[in-house]
Amino acid sequence: MAENGVRDSQLLKGVLSLALLRLLAERESYGYELVTQLHGLGLTEIQDGSVYPALGRLERDGHVTSRLVASSSGAARKYYRLSAAGYAALAHTERAWQSLVRALDSILSRPMPAKPKEALP
Amino acid sequence: MNQGALTKKDRLRIEGAVRRVDWVLDGRVPMAKRRQIRSELRSNLIDASQQVGAANAIRQLGDLRALASSYLELYRGRFDFQAGSLWAIITYAAIEALGFALLIAFHAGVAAGGSHGGSYSFEFWPGFGPFRGSTGADGLSFEVLFFSPAHLLLMLIAFVVGSSYRSIFARRTT
Repeated sequence: MAENGVRDSQLLKGVLSLALLRLLAERESYGYELVTQLHGLGLTEIQDGSVYPALGRLERDGHVTSRLVASSSGAARKYYRLSAAGYAALAHTERAWQSLVRALDSILSRPMPAKPKEALP
Repeated sequence: MNQGALTKKDRLRIEGAVRRVDWVLDGRVPMAKRRQIRSELRSNLIDASQQVGAANAIRQLGDLRALASSYLELYRGRFDFQAGSLWAIITYAAIEALGFALLIAFHAGVAAGGSHGGSYSFEFWPGFGPFRGSTGADGLSFEVLFFSPAHLLLMLIAFVVGSSYRSIFARRTT
């Protein structure tokens, strides 16, 4: 069970950037808000500690820009917004993801035999 | 839900977590970037703590060393002063260990030679250290210097190489 969890989190890590880009395409947001959105959408395996560096990576790659906004909680929040390069990256990654899903779906939708066939000599 | 103002204990916990991440970045990530990381992490932890409590907010971060490593991977500077300092300390320890080994060997050599009345001297790097020995009519003496220009020079070389070898290596492999 725990092993499945780890595997899932590895899988999610791979698509984390895509999820973040997509959420940021909807509206400007900050780290913890994005975490709660991801958790709310069912991606509960994603840890806060994966999201914050992932945002830093997107910023370093020029896919998002950031600005500090004062908050009522005391410390200023760092809000992220998608850049033009971010929109392009989102479109590209979304296409890649859709094609991967189609390919995988065609494999996973095939009927599974009770026993795998023997290889021919 | 545990919405509301944070207690002093909560703030201390948050600061502790922020500092644990920052400690790994110390001397490896440029100061300005470290300040930004601390500030963003603190702000997110405060927001999370207001929702789920400080202890849970910190737990949700996952392994703090892994988080620090992710930041390190992203923002590592040209020099790694932690590695440089470590290599300088290792070099110092190696010099001292070598000095004491030579002391024993020199002592054994002079004793085996049965030197009486003669004068023998040994200096690794004349005038610079890091150790010297001599024996004469007044007996055997050997000095392992705890600090000398040679110590300084060797430690400096170790520091420079140790703090920058990663960026040199990275440049060569790209």
